[in-house]
Amino acid sequence: MKDCGLDWFEEMVEHCYQKATEFHEAGTPIIGILCEYTPRELILAAGAWPVCLCGGDADMIPAAETLLPAGICPLIKSTFGYSLNQANPFLEMASLLVAETTCDGKKKMYERLAERHPMHVLELPQKTGDPDARIHWIRELQKLRTVLEERFNVAITDERLRDAIRLMNRERRLRRALAQEMRSATPPLSGRELLDLKSLIACLPDDLAAYERIAGALPGRPADARPSPDNVRVLLTGVPVPHGAERILDLLEADHATVVCQENCTGIKPVTEEVDAEADDPLTALADVYLHLPCSVMTPNSERMRRLGELAREYRAECVVELIWHGCLTYDIEAAYTRELAAQFGLPYLRIETDYSPNDDARIALRLGALYETVRAARR
Amino acid sequence: MDAGSRAIKIALLDTRTRAVVATGSCDQGINQSALASDLLARLLAEQGLDAGSIAATVATGYGRHAVAAADRAVTEITCHATGVYHLHADVAAVIDIGGQDSKFIHLGTNGLVVDFSMNDRCAAGTGRFLEVVAQRLDVPIASLGEHARRADKPASISSMCVVFAESELIGLLASGTSRENIIAGVCRAIAQRIAAMAGRIPAGKIVFTGGVARVAGMRDALAEALRHPVTVASDPCMTGAIGAAIIAARENGGSE
Ligand code: SF4
Ligand code: SF4
Repeated sequence: MKDCGLDWFEEMVEHCYQKATEFHEAGTPIIGILCEYTPRELILAAGAWPVCLCGGDADMIPAAETLLPAGICPLIKSTFGYSLNQANPFLEMASLLVAETTCDGKKKMYERLAERHPMHVLELPQKTGDPDARIHWIRELQKLRTVLEERFNVAITDERLRDAIRLMNRERRLRRALAQEMRSATPPLSGRELLDLKSLIACLPDDLAAYERIAGALPGRPADARPSPDNVRVLLTGVPVPHGAERILDLLEADHATVVCQENCTGIKPVTEEVDAEADDPLTALADVYLHLPCSVMTPNSERMRRLGELAREYRAECVVELIWHGCLTYDIEAAYTRELAAQFGLPYLRIETDYSPNDDARIALRLGALYETVRAARR
Repeated sequence: MDAGSRAIKIALLDTRTRAVVATGSCDQGINQSALASDLLARLLAEQGLDAGSIAATVATGYGRHAVAAADRAVTEITCHATGVYHLHADVAAVIDIGGQDSKFIHLGTNGLVVDFSMNDRCAAGTGRFLEVVAQRLDVPIASLGEHARRADKPASISSMCVVFAESELIGLLASGTSRENIIAGVCRAIAQRIAAMAGRIPAGKIVFTGGVARVAGMRDALAEALRHPVTVASDPCMTGAIGAAIIAARENGGSE
């Protein structure tokens, strides 16, 4: 059994399933989300529970490929395959899906998903810095607010919204604090262990309590339970690593390396900023923070590079690894920027392009091996 | 030891002087660990040495984890860079084209790897591709370079997949394209692949290594695609093994 309370998240999916079933039977709506641009606060304020539906299972892909082209990203195919196979109980229980126009693959897949599930798509503007984009995004969130109110017969008052914002801020703060423990010269966790400290359903009270317990216990974690402080310190960036695709972290850490920072959407990216719960208009405050999220679907996305530079320093990264799912054009195009940034920082850089199947593990391990040899040689 | 996809190569290096004492190779086979041990024993015997005179052994190549005689495994990227740097101290980048993969490795002035890119997904841009072409055109691999030099109008090869290229070659032959022009076209297509993989082209010396470096036409094709002179390594098949031996010597034989 894992120490420091980490065992709680080893059964995260089971806990979520149990909770979701309880909610479902009690008539409390479950709302599926598929991206970090979805403001979970609005869903929570509607008295519903947001559950993440991103697929990480390779076995779901063949079904998806009967309708979708094989060349698109495995995350999109796996998520969709779960629907065709009716294999994701959370998806089957969801009374609504909320999605947004991010990358082309997702956007077009949602049309198909909407054939089996009630769906509301937010139009996400993609010029973060444009004042009109901000106005448009605020309107989109206002529309979502109305859709949720009418559909679930609730009033999403500013007060309820503020409460939901405070709750989400607390979860973000807790997850951020855990991630920041990895800045230490003797990181308490492996990157793989840290990746497990999250939940499909946001803000479940038991999860929040578990984050707190773990945060309290980690400083006392004995040296023999921590990864070796001699390990190569890796900054991971690029696409998210959804539940089921964790093999990537195992590969990254198989050869005396620790992923000290995960900049992506399953890591620190969505928990970096907090929303001002006391703002005059909480909805506007919400819209502003979410529109900032530095995803590669935005143009330009210079905020991502700015944050990456900061993270490289804060976490004392010795190299940068960029993960690209096959078919993810936007992150792949940005990879060249990351490479340039890493060069500016004097950090060795490696881009790994793969999908969910393990058959190129050996070629990935070879590249990582060479990268880590380079880092170790430079230490001498 | 370099346990590559086609051959096992071994270099014996004097820990003190860093001189290469002997090199040898044999074909790769099913039991590569035993093949490597036999080759090592043979090399040692030829030099009047025995197992006791070995300070350390490092294995590289795709079979690096399977060689029982080695103390440790190091990737072929680091080993090729180290080996080429030993032979050409002014090297800025290494192109390695082997039987199954190809790499472009950028080196710092200290001989350390700065960056690399690699193709091992498909046969395009590897020795395997050239082999298929040579077979199909009935030309010995060794004389591909000669043929390429006689080309007047290198054919454009669109498909770099071995499977499709075969039918493309047949099509070109049928339409009357000369073997010389086809071979030159293939060399050019491979070189363009490597150039695209290289990214930024360094200002300094580029050294070409691996089995394909012995195919004369490839060096010229690479120089043209990179718009930069390319030097063939002095012992192109052995740089991986020599690099491995240098790493073993560094870690076990005191100072340089
Ligand atoms: S990477 Fe972009 S599209 Fe994917 S979940 Fe994050 S914000 Fe959404
Ligand atoms: S990884 Fe890329 S292609 Fe896949 S869903 Fe995310 S943004 Fe879209």
